[in-house]
Amino acid sequence: MIYNKETAELRSKLTQKIRDFFNKNDFIEVETPIMTPIPGMEPHLTPFETKFTPPDGKIQTLYLNTSPELQMKKLLGAGFKNIYNLTKVFRNGEVGGGRHNPEFTMLEWYRTKANYLDLMKDCENLVIHLSGKKIIKYDHREINLEKPWDKKSIHELFMQYCRIDLLKNKDLKTFSKTAKTRGTNISGCKDWDDIFFKIFLNEIEPFLGMKKPIFVYDYPVSQAALAKRKDKESFWAERFELYIGGNEIANAYSELLDSGEQKERLLEEQKLRKKLGKTAFDIDEEFLTSLESIPTSAAGIALGIDRLFMVLLNKNHIEDVLLFPLTNLLKI
Amino acid sequence: MGTTTSIKQGIAVIHKDQAWIIVSTQFVNPGKGSAFTRAKLKNLKTGQTNEVTYKSGEAVETVDVQNRKCQYLYNDSTNYFFMENDTFEQFSLEVEALGNAPKLLKEGTECYAMYIDNNPVSIQLPPKMDFLVTSADPGVKGDSATGATKDCIIETGLTVKVPLFVKEGDIIKIGTEDLAYVSKAN
Repeated sequence: MIYNKETAELRSKLTQKIRDFFNKNDFIEVETPIMTPIPGMEPHLTPFETKFTPPDGKIQTLYLNTSPELQMKKLLGAGFKNIYNLTKVFRNGEVGGGRHNPEFTMLEWYRTKANYLDLMKDCENLVIHLSGKKIIKYDHREINLEKPWDKKSIHELFMQYCRIDLLKNKDLKTFSKTAKTRGTNISGCKDWDDIFFKIFLNEIEPFLGMKKPIFVYDYPVSQAALAKRKDKESFWAERFELYIGGNEIANAYSELLDSGEQKERLLEEQKLRKKLGKTAFDIDEEFLTSLESIPTSAAGIALGIDRLFMVLLNKNHIEDVLLFPLTNLLKI
Repeated sequence: MGTTTSIKQGIAVIHKDQAWIIVSTQFVNPGKGSAFTRAKLKNLKTGQTNEVTYKSGEAVETVDVQNRKCQYLYNDSTNYFFMENDTFEQFSLEVEALGNAPKLLKEGTECYAMYIDNNPVSIQLPPKMDFLVTSADPGVKGDSATGATKDCIIETGLTVKVPLFVKEGDIIKIGTEDLAYVSKAN
């Protein structure tokens, strides 16, 4: 087995620089648990399960966090202002292809009195601070990191790459028809989001962020369960994803703070989990209550550290930046 | 011809009216969406590669492919010559149809040839193969500036990054897809 000391040293330095960046910007670092009785409700994520055996023998199921999001927002509700967290998160089943390892390092940060536009600025400043260069080389390309980075809404991208107006395709029936007419094979697609991703992953994502990082923003509400709607009846929610060199690096949003609407959306996701044959988790009531105590606005982001390091260190596989990737440990 | 809903390495599919072999597959999970499989396809005629993302459960048209054991004989500037083991029949393939294989083929290498309608179109190497190290720099312990790897040359002339303990005369396993060192062979 090769343990690449050079990469490990560079990783160590980058991690130190991340902490420097946030400390300098008046954030405090918080630690959240790896194990939790109530994990996130994302319909398509599968948390690892484990059993806790207390002295009285009443065994309880705990889950390894797929993201520290719920805990981070509880802290905002308790009066914390700007916080960040570097933690391991776990997603069962996600392995292979050089972009996934079932456990990976997540950087999450949250700002109060802020929206998703403020987080875009943070991303620009953080990545420039980490690279120390204006132009980086990644996968035989040069990527220009100079501010401002590109910004395109999902609506614009579907128009530009596919000539599809999503606002005229808001229901499954119309969208299916549009997709079939243009020759997209949607035989495996079960809902609106499946068709969305079938087109997005084939025709848009591979080209994102090749010359400059790009923020892809304003996603359909169905793909942003914890994000704030753009306005009351809007089809879009204030969510963005950061892409660099075709890699999805971060996911962020202006936080939905209306606990009533949040509960409805979690119930929807709970229903969808049941439909998909997955464990339907309880709704975390403490999380809902804490949303009400967040005084103004808030925004939060999750950034995949291993993928960012792949880009900064010009590595093509996530295994190249990990000392102990699961693919090696399990020989898969 | 047929259809399949399980996209996996090694099957041949129709894409844009042409036959392609699936070279590798990658799990894709958009986080807010269900799982997809991103497949790397190699065109069986031109050797050109392409990436296509399939939804799990998607019906895809397939091509019937027969695999027959063969061995590599020799090459000239544009063609690689093989012999089918059962019939001793010889055939050649153009270098474009072979991907990485030319970097790993040595006389007598056993592999599978893929046939469509009795025409050989491509060959498939085993996922890992053993090679003799013909030259390797001596590794210096504790040399952190260069990391824990060094270059070595294997019997086919290919340069491979290996751990410091690998030396000339060793037999090592190499992944035929990414051309990377796997382990020392026993």
